[in-house]
Amino acid sequence: MTLASMVQVLLSGLQIGSIYALLALSYYVIIIATGILNFAQGEWMMVSGVLGVTLLSVGLPYPIAFCGGIVGATVLAIAAERFIIAPLQQRQASEAITLLALFGVMLVVRYGTGAIHGRLDEPLQGPAGNHVFRLGANVFVFSQSLVIYGATVAIFAGVVLWMRFTWLGSSLRITAIDPLAARLVGVNLNTVRTVAFALGGLIAAIVAWLYAPLFAVGYLTGAIPGIKGFIALFVGGMASPFGALVGGLLLGVLEVGAARYLPSIYAEGIAFALLMVILFLRPNGLIAPRRAR
Amino acid sequence: MKRAAALFSRLYPTTFIGAAIVAALPLAANDYHVTLAVNLCITLILTLSLNFVVGYSGQFHLSHAAFFGAGAYASAILAKECHLSPWLSLLGAILVVAVLGALIGLPATRLKGLYLAVATLAFSLFVEVLVNQGGSLTGGGYGIQDVPPLAFFGSRLSGKSFYLLALVAVIVTVLVLNNLLDSKFGREIIAVRDHPDAAAAAGINPAATRLMVLVIAASFAALAGWLHTFYYLNLNPAVVSPELTFIWFFMVLVGGLGSMTGVILGTALLTLGPEFLGFAAGQTILAIGVLLVAVTLFAPRGLAGLIADLRRKVSAEGAA
Repeated sequence: MTLASMVQVLLSGLQIGSIYALLALSYYVIIIATGILNFAQGEWMMVSGVLGVTLLSVGLPYPIAFCGGIVGATVLAIAAERFIIAPLQQRQASEAITLLALFGVMLVVRYGTGAIHGRLDEPLQGPAGNHVFRLGANVFVFSQSLVIYGATVAIFAGVVLWMRFTWLGSSLRITAIDPLAARLVGVNLNTVRTVAFALGGLIAAIVAWLYAPLFAVGYLTGAIPGIKGFIALFVGGMASPFGALVGGLLLGVLEVGAARYLPSIYAEGIAFALLMVILFLRPNGLIAPRRAR
Repeated sequence: MKRAAALFSRLYPTTFIGAAIVAALPLAANDYHVTLAVNLCITLILTLSLNFVVGYSGQFHLSHAAFFGAGAYASAILAKECHLSPWLSLLGAILVVAVLGALIGLPATRLKGLYLAVATLAFSLFVEVLVNQGGSLTGGGYGIQDVPPLAFFGSRLSGKSFYLLALVAVIVTVLVLNNLLDSKFGREIIAVRDHPDAAAAAGINPAATRLMVLVIAASFAALAGWLHTFYYLNLNPAVVSPELTFIWFFMVLVGGLGSMTGVILGTALLTLGPEFLGFAAGQTILAIGVLLVAVTLFAPRGLAGLIADLRRKVSAEGAA
């Protein structure tokens, strides 16, 4: 366990942890505004990447494919909210029914993409290319990693500021505290729900361009990060966006650390074990809500 | 006598419809149909017990696939590695899974709604990892082959004779769950679901009731796993895939949450439908997704709800 290997583990852990944290944030904005755990978040990410690859393959320039993928996935997220979630909420469907409907959406998007686009994974070029910077004897940093760290800081800062200083963001925050009171002061819950799903979709769609260049992109790309994202959120807690950040980074570092130093059973199971332990011992997550005194 | 007659008339549609559909199949049987029928029996035990937890007890548990898979693996390991009689391995499997159910159920009684769903889903995902990484005990990704077969007075159970065993298992499941729901315990379950505080005030322990329901349902999932193991005689990690829980959940929903007749109909329809329509695996899962969205949007009370609406309409017209 040399210092260099530990630094490398920390860097890769923070890198994949940033991805988890951003996906956790995309779950977070939806869950606080609506109480819904949107199973399909990972699929919006996948759609954004697959759409991007498709647009690139027909010869469109990178910036257009980038924007096209993100806009396409976000539009899909809004459509799912308008045509499936909104009617269910209007009928006051139970949590179980809503979750099953979203599981259905997830299956349709995932296997629909598999049917339309084919089942092969394809590489996706990162927004900043594939450069490698050497920090020490055995420590490397990729340009894509810098893009990931930068985007994570920017998106978290953007969402926190948006929630604090804009009218829509404040509406979201108020709805999270008390939906009834929010309605009394003139917040339209329908609008808040659509905005929450749109923002969640947008964040997940951007994550595709951070995550997919590390591996490849295909119809199954959304499955595992989608699960890890909500695990990170429940581990960190839903008291503030920092829960998503802490949960994501912790999960990433623990996973990479376990993969490096422990037998493979620990690396694969650690996220699920961590979530169970946290939910049973500290159901509100690591970053607990501030108590009223 | 009157009570027995009432019980019979209430049980009648549930058992009759289920038994008639299932029992008719293998009469026209080739091996393929028998396998379908056995599969349906196994799935029925799973959806009925899942409905017991989710529909009647109102707990949003997503760990049923873990119980099923653990039951299947426990049976196989006990029979093959420990050389236990295949019949005794049923008791062993139920014991293992009941303990597993209590292990997850005990802390889970503190959680509600989405938190319970996420915690139990995590448990199910964890069990899947354990089975995949279990080394020589579970055979990892390859699973377990050549489990010793079941024998009944010297004759090996397979094909149609195994189907009869599976049918008996389904009937036992229906009878036990129906009787449980009809008992004092059954009324406690409903009371805890609808008004936990009022139930506690009336002297019922909600946590103990919820835990008991989960352990019972887990035991039935173990029975289903045992049947699976000894019908196919080999196993792979697909039996612990957490997605299975959602599929069974979907069958329960199509049938009608909290209606045993509905669940039997829904399970039969969705297990046999895709086979007879000749869907390929990839198409089936896409079709399930589309149906899932359509059912939750347009028929949230499932077949049972549709039947009830129809009956009400007919009787309203009769009255007019």
